[in-house]
Amino acid sequence: MTVVLSAEKLVKTFPGVRALDEATLTLTAGSVHALLGENGAGKSTLIKILTGVYRPDGGQLRLPGPDGELRAVQLGNPQDAQRAGIGVVHQERNLIPAFSVAENICLQHLPRRAGLLDRAALRTEARRCLDLLDLDLDPDLPVSRLSVAQLQLVEIAKALSAESTVLLLDEPTASLTNDEADRLYGIVRRLSERGHATVLVSHKLEEVFAVADTVTVLRDGRSVAEAEPLADHSREEIVDLMVGRAYQQVHLAARTVAADVEPALALDAVATTAGHHDVSLAVRPGEIVGLYGLVGAGRSELAKALLGLDQITAGEVRVHGRPARIRDVGDALHRYRIGYVTENRKEEGLFLDQTVARNTAVTVWRRLARLGLVRDRAERSLVDEYADRLGIRLASPDQHAGQLSGGNQQKVSLAKWLAADCDVLIIDEPTVGIDVRTKAAFHELIAGLAARGMAILLISSDLPEMVTLADRIAVMREFAIVGELDNDHDYDRMSQSVIRFIHDGQGVVA
Amino acid sequence: MRSVIRTNEFTLAVIAALGFAALAVATDFNLLTAGTLDAFLRFLALPIVIGLAQMVVLAVGQMNLSVGVLTGFCAVASGWLMVDAGLPAPVAVLAALALGAVVGLVNGLLVIFTRINGFIVTLATMTILEGLRYGVNGTGTYQGYSPGLREFGQASVAGVPVVFLLAVVIAVAVALFFRRTVPGRHLLAFGGNPFAARLSGISNDRALVLAHTLSGLLAGFAAVIVVAAFGSVNASIGDDLLLPSFAAPIIGGVALAGGMISVTGTVLAAFLVRLVDVSQSQFDINRRWVDLIIGAVVLGAVLLGQFRDKLSGGPR
Amino acid sequence: MKTETAPEAPAVPPAAEPRPPARALPVWANPRLGLLIVIAVLVVLFSSLTPAFLDPRLTLAPLQADISVYVVVGLAQLAVLSLGHMNMAVGRMAALSTFAMGLAYDRLGVPLLVGLLVGLAVGAGIGALAGLLIAKTGVNSFVVTLALDFGLLGLVTILYTWATGGVSFAVQPSGLSALRFDTFADYCMGEVCGPRIPLVVPIAVAAALGVGLLFRHARLGREILMTGSNTVAAELSGIPTHRRVVAAHALSGLLAALAGFLLAANNGAFSANIGESFLLPSFLAPVLGGTLLAGGAVSVLGTALGATLTQVIYKGLNLLQFSLEELKLYIGLVLLAALSLDRLRAVLAERRAVSSS
Repeated sequence: MTVVLSAEKLVKTFPGVRALDEATLTLTAGSVHALLGENGAGKSTLIKILTGVYRPDGGQLRLPGPDGELRAVQLGNPQDAQRAGIGVVHQERNLIPAFSVAENICLQHLPRRAGLLDRAALRTEARRCLDLLDLDLDPDLPVSRLSVAQLQLVEIAKALSAESTVLLLDEPTASLTNDEADRLYGIVRRLSERGHATVLVSHKLEEVFAVADTVTVLRDGRSVAEAEPLADHSREEIVDLMVGRAYQQVHLAARTVAADVEPALALDAVATTAGHHDVSLAVRPGEIVGLYGLVGAGRSELAKALLGLDQITAGEVRVHGRPARIRDVGDALHRYRIGYVTENRKEEGLFLDQTVARNTAVTVWRRLARLGLVRDRAERSLVDEYADRLGIRLASPDQHAGQLSGGNQQKVSLAKWLAADCDVLIIDEPTVGIDVRTKAAFHELIAGLAARGMAILLISSDLPEMVTLADRIAVMREFAIVGELDNDHDYDRMSQSVIRFIHDGQGVVA
Repeated sequence: MRSVIRTNEFTLAVIAALGFAALAVATDFNLLTAGTLDAFLRFLALPIVIGLAQMVVLAVGQMNLSVGVLTGFCAVASGWLMVDAGLPAPVAVLAALALGAVVGLVNGLLVIFTRINGFIVTLATMTILEGLRYGVNGTGTYQGYSPGLREFGQASVAGVPVVFLLAVVIAVAVALFFRRTVPGRHLLAFGGNPFAARLSGISNDRALVLAHTLSGLLAGFAAVIVVAAFGSVNASIGDDLLLPSFAAPIIGGVALAGGMISVTGTVLAAFLVRLVDVSQSQFDINRRWVDLIIGAVVLGAVLLGQFRDKLSGGPR
Repeated sequence: MKTETAPEAPAVPPAAEPRPPARALPVWANPRLGLLIVIAVLVVLFSSLTPAFLDPRLTLAPLQADISVYVVVGLAQLAVLSLGHMNMAVGRMAALSTFAMGLAYDRLGVPLLVGLLVGLAVGAGIGALAGLLIAKTGVNSFVVTLALDFGLLGLVTILYTWATGGVSFAVQPSGLSALRFDTFADYCMGEVCGPRIPLVVPIAVAAALGVGLLFRHARLGREILMTGSNTVAAELSGIPTHRRVVAAHALSGLLAALAGFLLAANNGAFSANIGESFLLPSFLAPVLGGTLLAGGAVSVLGTALGATLTQVIYKGLNLLQFSLEELKLYIGLVLLAALSLDRLRAVLAERRAVSSS
C-alpha cells in the first residue's frame, strides 16, 4: 500500500503542557483512517499541524514527492498544506455566506481571465469538485440558501478543490441527522475507492466503526494505537485505549442521599421551544445526577431552556417542590438559587479582559452593595475565600481572567456560583480541555459540593467522569431522555448500558 | 421571480419609482421639465459617489469618517492647482484623484499599523484634513477656473447631465469590481468571514488597505464632480457629506459588519434622499424636515431589514 | 503573508502552573501620565510664547470653563464606550435637552435648578430611547444613534422655530449670568476670597467624580462594564443586559444634557446650535485618555485629561493667532501620535514580556 502521509514522533508543547508527545500517524492511499481520542488527547493539535496552522516542536512530517518517495516537508501555513494536497474540513464553518457555491469551493484560487473573474472556469472547476462527490448542486446558488448538510458537503468539495489526496474531516457529522451522516459517509467511501486517504475525527464510535478501516488512538499526546486495522478491535477495546484504564476511583467524599427528600430541582414531562419533549428529571440535595449524551443531543440546550433562554412549552419545573417560572438567569440566581457553569468558559463563562475579582463577584454585587456601591473589602475577602477554597492559583485578584491557565479559569467560572450561594448547580462539561491532574482535583471538588448538600446536575460527554461522579445517569438522545441508570461505579457495566441506550434510543428504565 | 421581489433593492426601486411619480404629479409635472429634471440628476451625482466611497469600507467592516472632509480637501486642492498654480484642468483632476487615493492609502496603512479600529483612525485623519482643507486657501473661494471643466459640469447628453452619467459609470465600475474581479471578491470574502478568508490565502492587511485606498479614490472622484458641477470651491465643502455617506449604504441594505454590499441599493437610497430634498425645495418646506425624515427612513430601513431576517428565520 | 496563526487557544490548555504574574505596568506605559506631561509641557510652552496665556481673567478662567464643558461631553461618549457602543447623537441630544431647558425657563419661568433638571430628564429620556431601540432590535448602536442624530437635527430646529420664531431663547434665568461670569474669587468671606475658578468647574468635577464612582464602585456601572466585556457571559451570569444597555445610553443622554447646559451657561444663551461641535471632541477625549471602542474598560481620569489637552491646545494656538481650522490639524496629529504611541507601547511591552520569560 502506498503511504501518502507519514507524521513521525510529532511533539508540540504549549506553556505548561505537552499537547503532542511523539505522536505518530501514517496514512495509506484509499484508506479511511479514524483518529480517536478523548477531549484533550491531542487530536486538534495534530490536525492543526497537518494543515499548517501550527508548526511542530519536534518530529517530522513526510509526504510523497513527484517520484513517490517520501520526503520531509515543512508546512509553514495553511496554503502550504493545501499545495501539498492536504484538504481539511474544520469543525467551524469556513464559508462566505454571501458567495456562491462555486466561489466558496474555489476561494483559494479564483480563476481569472483578463483581470476579471473567469466565471466559466469557476463553474467548470466547481462542477468538477462537486462531481467528485456525486453532488447535484447548482454552483451559482449562494451558500446562504443551503441546508446544514449541504454546507458540510460544500466544505468537503472545497477541501478537494486543490487536488487533495488527503482529506481531514474534523467531527463532520456533529450537526447532521443520521440520514445526512450516512450520505456523507457514502461519499467518503467513494472517495477512498478513488484513492483518496481520509482522516476521520469523530466522537461517534458507531459511525467510526461503520466507515473507517484503520485507526490511530491518541492518549495524552501519544499514539497508543498506530494505524491498526479497525476490524481487529472491538468497540470496548477502542474505548479502553482511549481512556487507557486511566479510569480510576478517585477518593471522593462519601455522600448519602436521603431518598425521601423533596428534589431541589425537578422536571416533569418538560417540552421546550428548543425541541425537547417529555424530559423528566429530579435532583435531590446532596445528589449528583449525570446527564449524558453525545454532542448535539440537547443537553446544554436543556440547561439554557431551564434558565429562561428558551421557553418551556409543556410540563412543569419545580424547585424545592414549588412550581417555578424562571424568566432569565438573574431570576434563576436570585429567586431560585440555581447556578449554571457554562460549557464554553471562554465565550460564555468568563470575562477574559476583567479581573478575577470581578469575575468571581459578578453574581454577588447585589448582596455586597450598600446604596448601590460595592464594598471593596467585602468583595476582596469573598474572592480570597473562594480562591482559597477552590485552590485557584493567583498572583493577585486583580489579574485578568484571560491570563489564567485553563484549569484555573474553569475554577473561576465555578467560583462565581459558589459565591452566590446557589443550592442547585448545573455544571456543563467541567473538565473539557483540562489536564488529568486538575481533572481529578475538580472531581473531588464537585463531589465535595454535593457532600455539603448541593444538588448538582452534571452534563458531560466524558463517560469515565460520569461513572466517577454521578449517583444516577440520565441519558439524552435527540432532545429526549431515553433512559436513566443508578450508577454502581462499575465502569464496564455502566458504559455498556449507557452506550446501549444511546444506540437503541429506547426509553427503557433500567 | 419571487426572490427578486423580496430583495431590498426591489423594495427601494418601487419606493423610488412611486415617490418620483407622486412628486411629479404633485408638482404638476414641473419635475419632468428639462431644467428641473436636469438639476435633480446633476446634484444626485455627488451623493451617489460619496455613498459608494463609504460602502467600499463598510464592505470590510470598517468605517471612513474622513470621506466628506477628504472630498472637500481634494476639491480645494484642485482649485488651488488651477487658480493659484495655473496648471491645466486635466492635471488638477488627476491630482485630486491621486490625492484622494493617497490619503485613503494612508488611512489603510494606519489601520493595519496601529491595529486600532478604522473609526478612530479616520476620526484622526478627518480632523487633520479639516485643518489642511482650510490651510489651502483659508476662507477664500476659488472660482472662474477652467471653463472647460465647468462646461463639463453643466453639460448634458440627451437631457442627462454628464456628471450624473459619470456617477453611474463609477457605480457600474464599483459593482463590476466587487462582482467580477478577484481582488473585489477577496475584499468581500474578508468582510464576510475574515478567518476563512485567511485560511484561503487572502491577506487581511491587503484587503483593509485596498478598501481604504478605494474609498479615498472615490472621494477624489466626488471632489472632481464638485469642482465641475458647483463652479466654485471653498473650505466648507464636505462638511455636510459625512452623515449622508452613511445614510445611502445603510438604507441601501449594506451590512455594517462587512461582507455584504449593494451598489444598486446605495444608488437607489441616494436617489430617495435626493427625492426628499427636492420635495422640500418644491414645496418650500422647512429644510429641517428633510433631516427628520431621513433619520426616520434610516431607522425604518434597518428595522425592516431586521424584521425581514426574523421572518425568514435568520440570515442563514 | 505572515504565518502566525490566530490567537487561538492551544488544543490543550496549559496546566495549572501559574503564568508569570502580571506585573504592574511600567510607569512609562501609563497613558494618563503621558497626557499629564504633555499638558504640562504645552502650558509652559504657551506661557513662554505668549504671557497672555497665564492671564487669569482673559485666558485661564474661560479655559477652565471650556474644559468643564468638554470633559462632560467626553464623559457622555464614555458612558456608552463602556459597552463598546457609540453615541453619534451626543450633540443633538444636548441640543434637544437645552431646548427643553430654555422652554421651561421661557414659558414656565422655573428657577435655574428646576430647568436644569427638566433638561437632564429629557436628555436621559432620549438616551434611554436610543438604548431601548438598540437592546430590543439588536441593531448596531452606530446606526441607531446616527439615525437619531438626523431626526433630532431636524426636530430641534423645528422646535426652536415653533417656540421662539428664531434659533434661541431670549431668557436669562437668575443665576445663569453668575455661572457665566463669576469665579470663586468673587465670593469672599471677610478677607478670604476663593480661587479664580469659574462656577461651572465644580459641576464638571462632580460629574466626573460621579461617573468615576459609578464605573469603579457601583454595581450598576460594573455590570455595564461586564456587559460591554462579554454580553453572553453577562447574561449567563444573571445580569439584566438589556436594562444595562438602556441605563448606559440614558446616562450618555443625561451627560450630554449637562454638557449642553454648561455650554449654554458659558454662552449665555439657549440656542439651536448647542451641541453642533460636540461629536468629534466626545470621541477625542476618551480615546486620548486610553479608552478604546471595544468596551469593558473606561478611564474617567483619562477622559478628563484628554479633554483638558485638546482645550489647552485650542486656547494656546488661538492666542498665537492660529485659526480654528488650523487648530484641528494639530489636534488630529496629536490624536494620531497618541494612537501610534499606544501601538508602540503594546509592541514594546510584548517584547519585554517575551524577553523576561
